[in-house]
Formats: sequence, C-alpha cells, structure tokens
Amino acid sequence: MYKDLDPILHSQLRLAVMSILISAEEADFVYLRKQTNASAGNLSAQIEKLREAGYIEVKKDFKGKVPCTTCRIAPKGIDAFEKYVKVIQSYILIKK
Amino acid sequence: METQLNEKESLNLINEMISTSRNNLQKGMGKIFLLWGYLVFVISLINFILLIILPDPVNYYSYFIWFLMGIGYPVHYRLVKNMQQEKLIKTYVDKIMDYVWIAFSISILIVVIGMIGSSVLTMPASSEVENGSGFLRWFQWMLMPPFMLSLYGFALFISGKAYDFKPLVRGGIICWVASLLLIAGIHCQYMSEIQQVTLAIASLFGFIIPGNILNSKEKRNV
Repeated sequence: MYKDLDPILHSQLRLAVMSILISAEEADFVYLRKQTNASAGNLSAQIEKLREAGYIEVKKDFKGKVPCTTCRIAPKGIDAFEKYVKVIQSYILIKK
Repeated sequence: METQLNEKESLNLINEMISTSRNNLQKGMGKIFLLWGYLVFVISLINFILLIILPDPVNYYSYFIWFLMGIGYPVHYRLVKNMQQEKLIKTYVDKIMDYVWIAFSISILIVVIGMIGSSVLTMPASSEVENGSGFLRWFQWMLMPPFMLSLYGFALFISGKAYDFKPLVRGGIICWVASLLLIAGIHCQYMSEIQQVTLAIASLFGFIIPGNILNSKEKRNV
C-alpha cells in the first residue's frame, strides 16, 4: 500500500550524507565524517554507493599538499532526495 | 554496516543534518572585515588630519592617500587563500555572498574610475579653474564618501541578513544613514572633514566591530 522507499537513501549514513549535501554546495570528506560520526572506511563505502547511483559527484583534489575529497549532490540525487522526503511524509500522514 | 530507519527517525536525521550545515559565516571572515575596516578607519582619520593642517588647495592632494587601500588586496588574497585551505563545507549562501562581495568591489571600481574619467573629460583649462588647481579641484571628491558608504551599506546589509548576523545588519544600516546625511549636507561648511570622520565611524560599526565579534566567536568555538 505504501510507495517504496529508495533503498539507496533509506540507510542512516547515506541519508545523513545526502541531507548535508542537499543544503550545501559542496562538503569535504573530513566534514562529513565529523558530522556523521562515521568511520572513514564505512563513510568511503557509502559515498561510493551514492556515487555509483549517480546521486553525488566526488572530486579528489589537493589543498596545498594535503589530498582532499569533496562531495556535491548531483541533479539525480536532488530528485531522489525530494522523492524520498515526499514518501516519508506520506507514511507519516497515513499513520496519523 | 547499514542501519535501517523508521519514517520518524529518517525525518529527524534529515533535520539534524541540515541544521549542522546552516549558514554560519565562514571561518576567517572576521580577519577580512578587520583588514578593510582598519584600513578605511586609519586612512580616513589621516585624510581628516591632512585636510585640517594643509593649506587650501594643497590639501586636495591628501585624498591621494586613499590609494593606500591597494595594500589591502595582497593581504586579502592571502587571507582568502588560508580560508579556502581550512574550509570543509561551502554552502549556497557562501557561494552567493562571494559573488555579492565581488559585485561590491566591481561597483566600487566603477565609481572610482567613472568619477576620475568624468573629471578628466569635463575639466576646463587649468586657468579657468579657480586657484588654478586643475584636476585636483575639478574632481568631485565630495561625492565619493556618500557613494562608497551606500555601497558598504548594500553589501553589509545583505551579508548580515544572509548569515543572520545582526552586527553586520546594524553596520549596513549605519552606513546607509551616514551616506544619506553626507549627501544631504554636501554643501555644508567643513563637509570634507566631516565626511572623513563619518567614514571612520562607519568603518568602525560596519567592519571593525562585526569583525571583532566574529573573531571572538571563532576563538570560543575552537
């Protein structure tokens, strides 16, 4: 009876990353790790899944001599996120 | 390792994460405000003193001290570079505000270049100008501070509202009021001197005070 939730987004860490990126133009891997309290390995794996789905773009670069990974949300990710929020809201409305 | 969420937890998580990246002023902005604030403050006060102590029309040369503002650019560039190195997140507000300040700088340049251009193009022969001080006398120095203050007000007000930082909003409004007063009183006696003092006061409220508040906020957060 409910519309299916996007399995890519319906996981705590991936949803957290997408929620940060939806409100920012771009965010550094270090920032994402700090805000989500995730381990580097787990965060890397989830970011890779989001990238493979075409939801985010990942840019590897250098800040001075230090390597840095920057993520930004892709148009497909914005659509998916909006759809996900609508479905969640419909769940809550039905429950009420 | 994936944790599944119910719908309420999902919404709470979204809210929590979005609020972490809300629009705080970028780290290091305080130093940039202080740089330009102190430059305007010191230069306007020196200009004020020179206007008083130098005889007319030699005192018109004192306005050239404003070219010292140029020393702010390499320092500004350095500070921005440092900010970019440390910056971990860039919000859409950060992006728009970068453009607002770029547009502000272009507007300032247009006013300066345009006014110099108009003075050169419309200047009569030196002999026709009272006291023979040529370009220096013909240049509309008196119009510069109100124009500048109006532009300061514009950029400060938008920045303050965008980042929800009241000292900048107040600074912007003070600059606008100062601009209005200077335009209204442009024909008053001693207006040249009053303008320089007004610029110093406006830079104090528009840049120096907000810059110091931002710096102390950053220190508290570290």
